[in-house]
Amino acid sequence: MSKTIEGKTYWRSLNELSQTKEYQQFLHREFPENASELNDGQSRRHFLKIMGASIALAGFAACRKPVQKILPYTKRPVEVIPGNPIYYASAIPFQGSLTGVLVQSNEGRPTKIEGNPDHPASKGSTSTHHQAAILNLYDPDRSRKITHNGEAKTVSDLAAFIKANATADKKVVFVSEASSSLTLAAVKAKLGKKFKNFTWFTYEPFNSSSVESGNEIAFGTRLRTINYLDKAEVIVSIDDDFLGSAVNSVINTKRFTSGRKLSDSKGSLNRLLAVESALSLTGSNADARFQVKSSDLNAFVFALAAQLGVDSFKGYSNDFSQHEGVAALAKELSSAKGKSVITGGVTLSKEANAAIALINEALGNVNKTVSYVKAESSGESTEAFKMLVDDLKKNAADLLVFVGTNPIYTTNSDVDVEGAIKAAKNTLHLSDYVDETSKLCAWNINKAHFLETWSDGRGFEGEESIIQPLIQPLFSGLSDIEFANLFVDGNFTTGYELVKETWKSALSTKEWEKALHDGISPKASAYKAEKVSVSSKISTVLASALSAAKKSSGDSVELVIKPDAKLFDGRFANNGWLQELPDPISKITWDNVALMNTATAKKLGLPIVDSNANTYESYQNMAPMVTISANGKSIEMPAWILPGVADNSVTVTTGYGRKGVGRVASSYEFSDFEIVGFDVKGIRITGSEFVVNNVSVSATGKEYKIACVQDHHSMEGRAIVRFANLDEYKEQPMFAPDMVKTPGVKSGKMFADPLFTEQSFPEYEPQWGMAIDLTACTGCGVCTIACQAENNIPVIGKREVSRGRELHWIRVDRYFVGDESNPSVVYQPIPCMHCELAPCEQVCPVAATTHSDDGLNQMTYNRCIGTRYCANNCPYKVRRFNFFNYAKEYLTTGDDPEIVQMAMNPDVTIRFRGVMEKCTYCVQRINRAKIETKNATGGSVKPTDGTVVTACQQACPADAIYFGDINDANSKVAKMKANERNYRLLDELNTRPRTSYLAKITNKPADLVTA
Amino acid sequence: MSTYEYVPEQPLIKGKHNFSSITALVGDLVEKPAPAGWYIAFGIAVTLLAVLLGSIGYLVWEGTGIWGLNNPVGWGWAIVNFVWWVGIGHAGTLISAILFLFRQDWRTAINRFAEAMTIFAVICALVFPGIHVGRIWVAYWMFPLPNQMGMWPNFNSPLLWDVFAVGTYFTVSLLFWFVGLVPDFATLRDRVKSKVGRIVYGIFALGWRGGNRQWQNYEKAYMILAGLATPLVLSVHTIVSFDFAVSIVPGWHTTIFPPYFVAGAVFSGFAMVLTLMIIARKIYGLSDIMSDDHIEKMNIVLMTTGSMVGFAYIMEFFIAWYGAVEYERFAFINRAFGPYAWAYWTMMACNVFSPQFFWSKKLRRSVGFTFFISIVVNIGMWFERFVITVTSLANDYLPSAWDYYTPTLFDASTYIGTFGLFFTFFLLFLRFFPMVAIAEVKMIMPQADPHYYDKHDHAEVNEKQTV
Repeated sequence: MSKTIEGKTYWRSLNELSQTKEYQQFLHREFPENASELNDGQSRRHFLKIMGASIALAGFAACRKPVQKILPYTKRPVEVIPGNPIYYASAIPFQGSLTGVLVQSNEGRPTKIEGNPDHPASKGSTSTHHQAAILNLYDPDRSRKITHNGEAKTVSDLAAFIKANATADKKVVFVSEASSSLTLAAVKAKLGKKFKNFTWFTYEPFNSSSVESGNEIAFGTRLRTINYLDKAEVIVSIDDDFLGSAVNSVINTKRFTSGRKLSDSKGSLNRLLAVESALSLTGSNADARFQVKSSDLNAFVFALAAQLGVDSFKGYSNDFSQHEGVAALAKELSSAKGKSVITGGVTLSKEANAAIALINEALGNVNKTVSYVKAESSGESTEAFKMLVDDLKKNAADLLVFVGTNPIYTTNSDVDVEGAIKAAKNTLHLSDYVDETSKLCAWNINKAHFLETWSDGRGFEGEESIIQPLIQPLFSGLSDIEFANLFVDGNFTTGYELVKETWKSALSTKEWEKALHDGISPKASAYKAEKVSVSSKISTVLASALSAAKKSSGDSVELVIKPDAKLFDGRFANNGWLQELPDPISKITWDNVALMNTATAKKLGLPIVDSNANTYESYQNMAPMVTISANGKSIEMPAWILPGVADNSVTVTTGYGRKGVGRVASSYEFSDFEIVGFDVKGIRITGSEFVVNNVSVSATGKEYKIACVQDHHSMEGRAIVRFANLDEYKEQPMFAPDMVKTPGVKSGKMFADPLFTEQSFPEYEPQWGMAIDLTACTGCGVCTIACQAENNIPVIGKREVSRGRELHWIRVDRYFVGDESNPSVVYQPIPCMHCELAPCEQVCPVAATTHSDDGLNQMTYNRCIGTRYCANNCPYKVRRFNFFNYAKEYLTTGDDPEIVQMAMNPDVTIRFRGVMEKCTYCVQRINRAKIETKNATGGSVKPTDGTVVTACQQACPADAIYFGDINDANSKVAKMKANERNYRLLDELNTRPRTSYLAKITNKPADLVTA
Repeated sequence: MSTYEYVPEQPLIKGKHNFSSITALVGDLVEKPAPAGWYIAFGIAVTLLAVLLGSIGYLVWEGTGIWGLNNPVGWGWAIVNFVWWVGIGHAGTLISAILFLFRQDWRTAINRFAEAMTIFAVICALVFPGIHVGRIWVAYWMFPLPNQMGMWPNFNSPLLWDVFAVGTYFTVSLLFWFVGLVPDFATLRDRVKSKVGRIVYGIFALGWRGGNRQWQNYEKAYMILAGLATPLVLSVHTIVSFDFAVSIVPGWHTTIFPPYFVAGAVFSGFAMVLTLMIIARKIYGLSDIMSDDHIEKMNIVLMTTGSMVGFAYIMEFFIAWYGAVEYERFAFINRAFGPYAWAYWTMMACNVFSPQFFWSKKLRRSVGFTFFISIVVNIGMWFERFVITVTSLANDYLPSAWDYYTPTLFDASTYIGTFGLFFTFFLLFLRFFPMVAIAEVKMIMPQADPHYYDKHDHAEVNEKQTV
């Protein structure tokens, strides 16, 4: 392009100014962004594969390192020191509840999300979804522009359209995700006044509507339940995965594990008892667990209430009255009156949840361990949604507006959202992705990420926070507030102005600044606990449910549908970190499966592969495909045999099988497979969207490859995860270190003498070490994601994971112990052990892995030639190899790789193909702290205890990971290591690992302890 | 006083040969046009060599991921092939150096051949340490070269010892082979008709004129090189075994490895010599030089080393039990009954059971049967390395990390490709080099006996020396 412009050069962007080749291509494309590729079967990458040879020749000149330009600031922004990150408080909205976070910003780009220690829903920790949220921000597949019937539009076009069409006489229906935003509520109120025929429906596929309705039955008002698990001695979960899929899982885990900390054998533990059909994260952490089919759980709860003598259940009995679990739970609960919690899941009927509320009331737990509060609705029932949709088909809406939600994918198969959309005159969809719903709506509006716009809201327990952005919207998206506000008068107002307006009266300028700085409103804002009393009509309301409750027929197979531990209802489907995170229980990545136990699989005639057999088949992970059908509807997916599922029960999860949504969710980018996982919507019908009874399951004869990262479930009798019950521990406090005798240890010495001269670790350096408390660890896997985010670990895709090349630096091993029909589960996070006598260092021919003076087993990427000898010789198998150029694949594919590159941590090297990598104990954080300490003290390089926090430790909601200077006797980690439960894994090899474990102690009820 | 009857040894060279007929027999093979079969074989070999180069090229371009390696199994076919080829490369130097020192005259018929095989096998082996690393372009960092980083390699690492051990072995073997070739190159220089041939052979003959002084120096040098090469025969596979034995992987960490690897190497090397020799003597009509007696003698070595290897296999099990280390016990039980049991029993059948047939004199003199067993032994020895390398890594300390290793097409093509490399070299050797040590064979002929006129011994020798 020749420059013909005379005089001043006007330019729209730096790219235009510099007239780069990319920009010229950009100008000449019909659609500037992704649009022309979206439905293109032959993607650019496929084309590249075909054209590999010619590209190979063409690209030779640049095959080493691409030339990149960096530019200095001409005017330095205040407070920004290049290289030093800045942290801002914000909050993550999820299902209508906020969790306070601190977001790390490197030179203006948010790079890492950490919990906000001042926020009561976080207390400094995060969940897997929180950690992964940063990747959603930099997802190149996000919806990038406003379109109307496929044509690009601007915000003013949209505003003009709304002004013209959203007149007061129109029938306007909003369907939105749950939100606790106070500003959105204000906008909603304005809209309600403006439109005569106005509906705002809050739709969440996995809301707590059944719990809230249950409380309404019990106490006469719709209330939210808050469990103070830290105050409870006995906790009973009836199919409530409060540690896993619950919206407040972080604080639940924190509270639950605060009762699982033992400083010595004199301590006590809380007791968790779980009743569920398939192992959930909560059930896997239970001290005793009863497997009951999900369809029987309501009857189970009623029998339990009767057993406990709850007033409205006097004289009631059903098929479960004689169940051992009912007797055991009743005994435990009644022994801890006022100090127990019973909690019910969203899959229970509202009557069962009412019974649970009544049990809590009868046990005197209310306002001691359980509170009931008035809160915003977490969403309405699916029955109500079906009614709305059916109504919309008959009486079409003038404007049907979807805010953030994707009902076409997430709702039940009998809810004809498509019909409602087609009937409506105008449809608008604000969404993160051009998803299933977007494709049917005329207007698609790209939604801004929460880190891009202003908003506000409440935590699960009511605390108010302001969500402040860290970056301008990457694709000029709108927030839900800005979007909804357009309907008020058709004028665009920025989110900042709207939020500011809401808080103007509540907070002074100083308080507003403090709220922004702290991440939480300085005014007391938590919900007030309600005084509750049992509804007078209770007996009549429950009567029909009670008489209907009975045990399902023994032979009938039920299908349980749960939100996925990683993708939830599908909203995280395009997040590679979550897709590649192994499921906490099944350890499966990149897929959802139909879980069942061996007995059920045998009954259904499926091929059984004993996963503990250590045979060729047990490592192949070929799952038989099955057709699951009920009520004339069916789905097809792979069956997976896993211990810990009730007989005749099959569990599946939602969120998979997305078509044409993104490169990760519909993965042709990362694997050979066209679609990731299987959509289970087909079999869900309203009324039985969580539990479908009487399903038939038949093998199709096909097989499907599953990428599972742990193929062997048994410890083979080895002392790997050392555990004991509390009474055994009290009897034998040193059981864990005594389990294995290390040969050659002389009395009074900790280690055996080595053959060679040992490295000395100088006194003036801190000596880093880690302790992991297995009693606290719940196995959620947030450490893995936090590490991935901190250390720039690429996503490698299903194909590579299924070849056994997972790249995570810290993995959570899961073993089943005991009876296969109802096993105990133990978890063990495995980072690098940083052995003092490291076997890996010995064998590296080029000395690429060596020891530092502060006791780190270091990996020098530049020196590594990739013999993989170190990985072979690592007994813990923590070393990870770049078999391909994973980082390049991860960071340079797509049309604008710069976007995902923005998520990278600038303090951590990107690893090239052919080098080994592994956990560094977050050496970048260590060195930053050492430098700061040296600058502050003028000499010492020993940061004070608690200054260096590894990424896994920081994220862990169970506070199971301790890190610090083990030479400092007063450091937390040194004290933990002095604990009698402390043991070093494979200590008998004399590797002297710096990472040690504190044995797992369970608290099984004495009468349930089996030999 | 008892008397012993003198049993004269069978003559090593069969048929009615004299010095000139031996020279003609071997020299003609080089001077006359190659048989059509040679061209076909060479074509196939070069094709396979192209497969090797293609596989390596793709490997360099894409990364080690094209092989079937995974997280617990960091070493697969590449290392298996390396150890296997090095093992094969053992026979040559053993035959030429150790048997020379022990005055085993029968070695002269096969030593040239076996040494050539050694050189080419070691070349094939050396391909793998170079290409199996993740960053091939910096593999030279394994050598202690002066560099701007001021870095030495890690002298604690057995991989580094490997570099030195195999490198030294290759150098000494090459020199030894070349020194042995000098008089024969001179013979060819004098016989060959083409001018180019004369010049080339002349260069390699280093001005050899066959003078008394030259012979004296030559034999001294040969003896010294044999003395130098002898410890190397033992050291090279000992050090290769250290790659495994020095690690802490259960199933690798065993003190029996050095002798067991050396025995295994001799075993596989002899099997390979037999395979090649049986084909060559048939095609080139060398049965008089490489007679059935040679085959029988080699079969005895095969049977002995096979039994030694078998003893080692059983001893490993005993020590695993006796040592009472649960991980090691599991490693060995897992070998025999775990997911790789098929590989283990293939190894046992091929290496331990198959050579036992040679207790029968009839079978060990049967050419066809020997050929069959020699192939079986080489398959078995490949599996031995596979069993050691892969089964130990796949199931080690933490069961959570266990996985199964499945090779890919590229693992196979790289392995098959090395046969291309080997046979390309070997066929060129057969075509242009004297494949039998002419001078040495002449030395062991009755005609070379200095007691020719003494009627009291070697009475059966009555032919006139004719040179």
